[in-house]
Amino acid sequence: MKAICWTAPNRVAVEDVPEPRILNDRDAIVRITSTAICGSDLHLYDGYVPAMKRGDVLGHEFMGEVVEVGSAVTNLKEGDRVVVPFPIACGACNACEAELYSLCENSNPNARLAEKLWGHATAGIFGYSHLTGGFAGGQAEYARVPFADVGPLKIDNGFTDEQVLFLTDVFPTGYMGAELCEIQPGDVIAVWGAGPVGQFAAASARLLGAERVIVIDRFEYRLRVAREHTGAETLNYEEVDSVPEALKELTGGRGPDACIDAVGMEAHFHGPLYAYDRVKQALRQESDRPIALREAIMSCRNGGIVSVMGVYGGFVDKFPIGAVMNRGLTLKAGQCHVHRYLRPLLRHIENGDIDPTFIVTHTLPLREGPEGYELFKHKRDDCLKVVLKTDAAVWQ
Amino acid sequence: MAAHAVRTQDKGSLTKALGWFSVALGTAQLTAPRALCRLVGADDGGRAPVVMRLMGAREVVQGVGILTRPRPTTWLWSRVAGDALDLSLLGLVAARGEHRVRTAFAIANVAAVAAPDVSESLRLARMGGEPRAAKPIRKAVTINRPRADVEAAWAAASELRDKVDAAGGSVRFADAPRGRGTELVVEWVQEPPLGDLGLAAVKLTGKDLATQLSDDLRRLKQRVETGEVVRSDASPDGHLLAEHLRQRAAQPLEEGVR
Repeated sequence: MKAICWTAPNRVAVEDVPEPRILNDRDAIVRITSTAICGSDLHLYDGYVPAMKRGDVLGHEFMGEVVEVGSAVTNLKEGDRVVVPFPIACGACNACEAELYSLCENSNPNARLAEKLWGHATAGIFGYSHLTGGFAGGQAEYARVPFADVGPLKIDNGFTDEQVLFLTDVFPTGYMGAELCEIQPGDVIAVWGAGPVGQFAAASARLLGAERVIVIDRFEYRLRVAREHTGAETLNYEEVDSVPEALKELTGGRGPDACIDAVGMEAHFHGPLYAYDRVKQALRQESDRPIALREAIMSCRNGGIVSVMGVYGGFVDKFPIGAVMNRGLTLKAGQCHVHRYLRPLLRHIENGDIDPTFIVTHTLPLREGPEGYELFKHKRDDCLKVVLKTDAAVWQ
Repeated sequence: MAAHAVRTQDKGSLTKALGWFSVALGTAQLTAPRALCRLVGADDGGRAPVVMRLMGAREVVQGVGILTRPRPTTWLWSRVAGDALDLSLLGLVAARGEHRVRTAFAIANVAAVAAPDVSESLRLARMGGEPRAAKPIRKAVTINRPRADVEAAWAAASELRDKVDAAGGSVRFADAPRGRGTELVVEWVQEPPLGDLGLAAVKLTGKDLATQLSDDLRRLKQRVETGEVVRSDASPDGHLLAEHLRQRAAQPLEEGVR
């Protein structure tokens, strides 16, 4: 089958790889119809995540049709149309019982590697480096889905792929970012990054009752999407001297009640501190450039919440712990526990509270995946989200 | 049970660090004597590299002594004597005065390491009784099942039990707090014949019980909690430390690979 494989930093290729097979009784094989490129795929693409190997099949946002199930899978059958959450979760361990699915204690067969880097291991994730298990991803024609009796959500209404595809990651990730903010009526929420996760975080903050949402980015086309589709105000950081100062003046001097970092480890900025971070990262003296996170912390009101949904891999420099401690900030974070949001968010889509298709700017066939990565990385042609279609895209 | 309440080893982390330092420096002196001569400001011709090699052999022997003996008091004192010898040799180099800065830097380094050498020698010299080198090891896992189920799973895992028995280990079970299932704790005392050196060697082969249990307890947990050993495309045999660094790519397996 065709699959998009990571071959070297800044290089992916469509390669012929074997078709997946059932390895465990709780597996299912899904014939993929639609799959998307995630902002976090760009961290792998750019070579900032260790533990990638030549030939790794990428992709963790995918949906399709069940073509085979293992003997222990009773809730799905051949022909079912499913969306697949990006974390792999067993449903039986303490973490899964507490609905912390991205922290499943069993689904990462490379747990020890992750423990060395992070202290404790996290769940397995499709197509997302060997640190999260070394599972082949979903930017392919087929994928093996472990614990298929726990993760996939059956879609049996007339929705198009695009309407439900983002339930696999970016919609719930943005939603969790907003939920972590413990929004009270009247709250002002700031969101760094107007990529897909930032857009959904802004929209979700409104759904959860925020009075105002301010989205920060430097690309006018992305800020326009935020204004038009999420009801947010926007701030172009290239037009202000200091984001924390600008936010202070926009919020009566208080600062936002909560700040969401939807940027992560490859933030851009202007000025000497940005140059400093680029140099340190290039020399592998820090793995991540925490520019958005620093700003979020410095901007947040006293006693507020900083919610980190942008992906970080390892270690950062010049972390303003003094601000966190002295100003009583709460730092919350996590890979999204997608499973627990699938049904509630599907209901929001069904009710018409949100139409997730507003982020899609490009639809390409799977074989043009490498061009999709380039478009998305360099934000060419006003790219916000690339959806890849396989030949099996029968639902369209 | 409290974490290690009683000190079980005479050697501390500083003692071991000095031992490893000796081995590392000695190895460098033995294998690259000329480079090290230049580093300390001495001639890299003539007799200097020969002397450097001799001093390297001395360092390696001292390091091995410190790492293998349970209470290496004499070996540590020999490091103090070695520091004195090194300082006098460097004094001779300094007297010729060809590269004063480098030699001064080398002298400062030897003086800096002499301080912990003396303090550790004194600490071990004050110790009485039988030398102690046993290292208690504990490996634990929480399995989200009632105690009876976990005990039954352990009873059924005969290969794993044999491994623990062979190491003289013991296992105990306890209810995890807040209804989180059962804690399974394996404890044993590690006392390899060649001390820290032997321990490091066994660790490298991955045959020590601690490394094996890192896999085995995870796999036991997976089997009890999920009914299977979790496999990925890169780790098709499930969690195996030995395979962690030489994984295949995350691509579906060829038919018949397994």
